[in-house]
Parts: sequence; structure tokens; C-alpha cells
Amino acid sequence: MAEMEYKKETRSVEGSWPMEHWSWKFESIALISKTREAFKEKKLLGLKCPGCGLVYFPPKPYCRCMSEPDEWVEVKQQGTITTYTFTGAWAYEGIKEEEGPAGEPLIIVGVNFDGSDTLTVCTLGEAKPEEVFVGMRVQLKWPENIEGRLDDIAHVVPLRE
Amino acid sequence: MAHIDVAVTGVGYSKHVSKRRDVNIAELVWEAVSNCYEDAGLKPKDIDAVVTGNMPAFEGVNMPELWGAGHWGAYHKPLIRITTGGTTGGSVAHAAYYAVASGLYDTVLAIAFEKQSDGNSTMGLNTVALADAAAQFQQGVDPGFLASFGGGAVGIAVYQAASYMKRSGCTTHHLDKVSALCRNNAALNPWSHLKQPGLTPEDVAKTVLMQYPIRFGHVCPATDGACAMILTTHEKALKLQNKPAYILSCASCSDEAALMGISGSGTTNMDPCAQEHCKLAAKWAYELAGIKDPRREIDVAEPYAPFAHQMLMFYERLLLCEEGEAPAILDSGSMNLDGELPVCPSGGVISTNAIGASAMERITEVALQIMGKAGERQVKKEVHKGVAHGWGGAVNLNVVAVLSDTPRRS
Repeated sequence: MAEMEYKKETRSVEGSWPMEHWSWKFESIALISKTREAFKEKKLLGLKCPGCGLVYFPPKPYCRCMSEPDEWVEVKQQGTITTYTFTGAWAYEGIKEEEGPAGEPLIIVGVNFDGSDTLTVCTLGEAKPEEVFVGMRVQLKWPENIEGRLDDIAHVVPLRE
Repeated sequence: MAHIDVAVTGVGYSKHVSKRRDVNIAELVWEAVSNCYEDAGLKPKDIDAVVTGNMPAFEGVNMPELWGAGHWGAYHKPLIRITTGGTTGGSVAHAAYYAVASGLYDTVLAIAFEKQSDGNSTMGLNTVALADAAAQFQQGVDPGFLASFGGGAVGIAVYQAASYMKRSGCTTHHLDKVSALCRNNAALNPWSHLKQPGLTPEDVAKTVLMQYPIRFGHVCPATDGACAMILTTHEKALKLQNKPAYILSCASCSDEAALMGISGSGTTNMDPCAQEHCKLAAKWAYELAGIKDPRREIDVAEPYAPFAHQMLMFYERLLLCEEGEAPAILDSGSMNLDGELPVCPSGGVISTNAIGASAMERITEVALQIMGKAGERQVKKEVHKGVAHGWGGAVNLNVVAVLSDTPRRS
């Protein structure tokens, strides 16, 4: 989050939201927890809708057709880039000049993993910005230590077939 | 369905700049409201109800309608605030339209504004995403990592741009041309924020790359500004105006988020540029308005486009051409002030973005074009019908209104 800008002519009041105390009872958390546990076996579990057949990965408790997805299916670890961006010069409000543009631009891609009907957002490694394109094939790169966290599946690299 | 014809009988704007330090929120809004009363030839006693809207999180002032009620002439009147992100102004106008069209009230004041310099809009956007983000943090997503996906509205728009360019053949040069077209139009608009007469696509191409493919020149400014509009019945409008503009129809449609689903689940809205729900809202609005062929019947369009690619993308999603045709239509000159179907003659949201006000300003600008009161930015062709649009963030709400110089049932 951007640092609060203290303006000369106004007063700023410090505040915080203690988010660690928020509790979540709703079902999507329980569903995603199951998928996260499966990461430890290097498996991607999605949830299929009985109404229209769409496969949600990570899972979601209700479908866009308003049915309730209930069938666990395994999703492939290869996928296709549906959209992308990469960071440019850090020259706008909210990002400090001194934090960039050192190093390589970060490439962020939308990935549709094979066997699912959803888009998930990942970072793309082992590629240069000018090599990325919509339709590019990628594969999941697991972290060294898989902890069953949502960001275990947040990194992809070009698929070498 | 019972329906009372709804006319726009007055429009008012405040000055729009990046920082209005000389006035507070209520005073800024009063500029627009007083101009609107004057334009309509009405006084607060003539108003039956008031609808207002902004994004309170952006100013950091909650329930500003209570602060402003006295300034805006809303004492002893029904008053409601509406907040729907980028579409706020559109939703406010729609609510005011429903209030009159339903026969509940004759004359309704609609107010939409944002005074971004009072607060921190990026922080405000974070509070919009907070509920979902908090759930993701608890599942092991690092806040810094989530932030790296691109904060705020730019972070949403860049993904839309990349897939739109792939799907339509739109090039970065087209993005540069959109910015040049809009900022030159804005120079003719007395209340617009970023006026850049003579700006060329080549100038835009030289601006810094923020996040591919969006350059600094492709992005809206953060604006302080307010807009007001008075809606009334056909009969009352004719006593006040020789040539009122009529709102023929309003429609809105929401969809699943386009980047990340709820609490980190996947989203089946796989292509951020598809905007299928915009097409649905447009289809419904045209049907209600009795428009069969929007490409032929619409004379002017004000799509909500804070980012350059969105002017072309929403031109297509408002069913004004086939998908993928907009870049070539831009090249043909048809979207210019003297073109066949001028787009964003006001300069658009890319030139002026007081967020809560922007979607209503699309409607007031189409109304002014129909009334022939748009001054230097009046398009060359005769305007009978126009379409005004609003788009709201990752939650993907689209609002569409169709306006005309003749009421629906005449």
C-alpha cells in the first residue's frame, strides 16, 4: 500500500484494520483449503459444475450458472496465457522512484490451466517481456518448499515441449 | 409497462482540476448544483427528490450527502446516496431516471462528484478490495505479492488492454491516437481537466511506460469535480425548455470479476476485454429505447474510457460496430468531432476523471449534444440520438443510457 501522503494544508489521522482478526466462515475458504492441501502432493484440484460443466480452479462454491460445483477434478499443470502485462518505469504515484526500475521488469500473466475454465494470475519467469504473447504455453513452477499456500501456484515458466 | 417520459432539463458542472484547495466538498458540489439550477431555471423548492453519489472512500469523508444536504437544497426532501465505483454517476442518473419514469416524483436532482485531492484514491481502492484480499492473506498470499499484480484501476486495465489488442488488432499507435483525439476535444470543453490542444499521437508515444501497454499519456488524470442534472417529466420540461433531451432507457449488467475470483478462487470471466455484460446492457438499453440498428441510429457516443484502449473496446461492446472493427473506424476519422459517429466529443474520461461524477458526465454530455448546447465541442452532424456508458472496476458493472431529442412514445 502506498504510504500516506501528508499534505501541508490538511491533517492526517493514523489508522489500521486488524485483518488478522477477521474470521471467514463461508464455503469458498473451506474449498480452497482442500485445494491448498493437495498442492503438497503437487496436484491441482478444481471443482466442476454439475449444471454447465465449467471447472473452477481454484474452486468456487457457486457457478456463474447459479448451480453449486461439487465434483473434484484434477487440473493439468500446463496452461495458456490469456493476457499479460509487465512493469514499466516506476514513474507514477504510489511507487517510489528508488524501488525501481532496478532489475528485470516483472511479467504478470493471466493463465488458463488445461482442464479448467478459469483465469488465474501468475508471474512468468525465465522469459523476457518481448517474448510474451497471448496464447503462449506455460507450465507451473512449484516453489522449493511447498507449504500449501495459495501462492504456491503463482509462478509459471514457458512450456518446453 | 407504465413509463413516464423523462427529460433532462438542466445540467451543471463545477470547475474540474486536480486540486481544489479553495473549496470544501460541499462547496465544490454547490458550484455544479447552482449552475444546474440556473441552467434549468429552477430553484430548490421546485425539486421533489435528490439522488447523490460519489466514492466516499476516495475522499475519506463518509456520508457526505448529510454534510452537503443544506448546500444542495435537499432539506425536507427525499435524499439517497448511491455508490457503485466507476459507475457511480451512471447509477445515480439511473436512480433519478427511475424516480421520474415510475411516476413517484416529477422533478429530481441528480448529483455526482469526487474531490480526490482531499483523500487518497489508491488507499480508497484498497478498501474496496479489502474483504477479498484479507481472505487471500489468510490463505498464504503475501500482501506485497498481491500488490505486485498491479494496484488500482491501472492494474485492471492493462490486462484488458493486452487481450483487446490481441483480439482486435489494435496497435499501440491506435492507443496514442485515442489519447490525442480526446485531449484535443477536451481543449474545446470549458469544464474539462486535461486540455492539450495540438497533442499528437507521436507526443503520446514519448510518454513513460507505466505498465505494458499503457503509457502515462494513455491514462486519465485524478480530478476534483462535480456534475448535476435535473430530470423532469416531458410535460414539465416543455414549459422550461424549447428543446429538452430525453432519456429513453437505462440498463445495467454486472458480471464475475475479470482477474481473480472471490477470495482467490478462479474466475470464468477469462478474457478481461470480453465485457459480455456491457453488450447485454447495451442490447437491453437499445431494445427499451426502440433502437433496432444502433450503428445507424446512434449519432454520438460517450463511452466511459479512462484508459485509451477502452474507447475502442467499449465502442465495440456498445454494439456500434463488429468486434475488431473499432481501430479501423478510428483511422477513418469517423470518431472525430466532424465524423459520422463522433466519440467522446467532451474529451472523455481520459481527459477528466472526477471518478464518482464521470459516468453521469457521459449522460449530461450526450444531453448537451442533443440540445445543441455543447458550445465549441458540439459535433458537426445533427444529433438525434446518443449513447452514454459507465464501467466500474474489477467487479465489472456496466451501465448504459440511451438519449434522444424525441420522447419514447411520440
